[in-house]
Amino acid sequence: MSDYSIGIKELDDAIGGIKKGSNIMLIGPPMSGKESILKLIAYHGAVKNENAIITVTTRESATNILEWYKENKLNLPLSKIAIVDCVTKTLGGAALENENIKIASSPVDLTGIGVKISQFFEDFFMKKNMRKIQLHINSLSTILMYSNIQTVFRFLHVFTGRIKAAGALGIYVIESGMHDEQAIATLKQLFDGMIEIRIENDKNYLRVTGLSSKPTPWFEYEIDGHNIKIIRGN
Amino acid sequence: MIETGIPKLDKFLGGGIPRGKSLVYYSQPGVEGEIFGLQTVYGTLKTGGTCVFVVSSTIPDIVKGQFDEFGWDISSFKDKLFFVDSYNPLIGAPSNEKYVVSNPDRIEDFHKTIMDIIKELPPSTIVFGSLSTIMDLCGEKETIEAVRTWNKMAMLYNHTIVYNFTAWPYSDETLNLIKGDLFNSVISIGGIAERVIFGQYFGIMKSDWAEVSRKSMLFRVLRPGGIKIFIPKILVTGPFDAGKSTFVHALSTRAISVDRLGTTVAMDHGHVEYKGFSADIFGTPGQERFDPIIKLLSGESMGVFLIVDSTNPSDFIRAKHMLDITKSYGLPYVVVANKQDLPGALTPEEIREQFHLPEDIPIVRAVAKDKIGVYEAFEVLLDRVTGGI
Repeated sequence: MSDYSIGIKELDDAIGGIKKGSNIMLIGPPMSGKESILKLIAYHGAVKNENAIITVTTRESATNILEWYKENKLNLPLSKIAIVDCVTKTLGGAALENENIKIASSPVDLTGIGVKISQFFEDFFMKKNMRKIQLHINSLSTILMYSNIQTVFRFLHVFTGRIKAAGALGIYVIESGMHDEQAIATLKQLFDGMIEIRIENDKNYLRVTGLSSKPTPWFEYEIDGHNIKIIRGN
Repeated sequence: MIETGIPKLDKFLGGGIPRGKSLVYYSQPGVEGEIFGLQTVYGTLKTGGTCVFVVSSTIPDIVKGQFDEFGWDISSFKDKLFFVDSYNPLIGAPSNEKYVVSNPDRIEDFHKTIMDIIKELPPSTIVFGSLSTIMDLCGEKETIEAVRTWNKMAMLYNHTIVYNFTAWPYSDETLNLIKGDLFNSVISIGGIAERVIFGQYFGIMKSDWAEVSRKSMLFRVLRPGGIKIFIPKILVTGPFDAGKSTFVHALSTRAISVDRLGTTVAMDHGHVEYKGFSADIFGTPGQERFDPIIKLLSGESMGVFLIVDSTNPSDFIRAKHMLDITKSYGLPYVVVANKQDLPGALTPEEIREQFHLPEDIPIVRAVAKDKIGVYEAFEVLLDRVTGGI
């Protein structure tokens, strides 16, 4: 079995596992459930594949993320969870770091975010001897609101490279329809594949491209609490 | 002269940074280079100087909080420490600071504020929290031109000017200027990486007022406390009778062995100072029953020497196994082909083949008892550990 997978059986069967060192863009329109999908990929990675998960969050606080799992009665193995929180400090919230949470000073502070990511990598890799690591960044769209595309490209250039070198998996969330085509095309060069989401006639579909010889079919899905239910392939 | 307050760095720089000089902390992404600027601010204040901190990537209040985290009380320096706020305007928030850059994405606005400061304040230390952020917002060429002017003006008005810079993949032209002509001194801050970054070091790349020898120090960042130097451990391993103890003794300025009947049963310990780099050296016993010790020591080491007896290929399987133990910790390593003076010694190429070692793993010829190849091996390992600064 592969070290990394998405956790949605139909998709995983269709792509046959994700190679070490892959960088994947998770792209979809607002309100399509990207955040839940990402959280469930993290849960699946930590529980089923026993991977360490580093999440960089620019949209909701680390506390909120952990709450979400509690509300959905999902028992996260905390020893495998790390969150770089880029929101709490600028909102003036009490920002306490602990073993699972590091606080970056703002979404502009890419240097600081980079330091925190590297520290978690070191913690897992060297100190806890966990070699399978997933880095989830949610989301590039927020980072792009504060920094221009070249800046974000340089940042990602470094970190997609580190993902490759460490044999890890990187997943980067981006809103479709929010950035110009050229920005997306520029960033795409850095990724091995995409998880694409679209909404049509109030129905959600997703597919994976770039990770297998041809794109998977579009699967219609529903998110029910903490379950992603595939309704049918089409 | 202003003191940075960073251990060893002031000494390397001949006491600190003279007035009128510029210095850049040139950091690889992912290492804690920004602390250097922060500690320089505190170093200046503590020795009675005036300081300006240019905040670009977060709100000034958060930076003030960072001083607290390090245990550096800045509240008593209210009249001596000024912040330039170039973040709040960026997100459209009001600022409480005396100096504000109204449009942080226009270098002209930056220039105006910085020039005001240079002309208004008595000789001060001006520290830029993140030159890379300014560059990201205002453009590489434009920022470099402005920096050139600020450095010149700082010199005229007797200020010391210091920049934190993160070396993202900018154009080669930009990076070469920053490492080259733009500043009087360049301090490089890097990470020790073997798949992931697991250690940090700094070294002087350039300084036009102090004699620079290749020196690098490993550091950790403590909260509270700031930058602290530490001495890394290097592990020497290899099969029984490959010459590990001899190697440890040959490399060390002082060394002891815990042994019985001439074979090491616990471990060798030595200390080496070489080309400004110092390390503690630990030799492990070769017998299999001591393998747990190797594991224990590997966890805290920075790099590994694997000593093999070049005349004894039958031991290579054992050597390979010992290497696997240490390799599982992802440490950089160098193979030392010892006993090259004896008849029948295999060449490094033959050893590579029998060992199935990849091309990029260095194999160094040595005769440990005569100290031949010992320092060469140390240099090769240092280069692997620091990525060669």
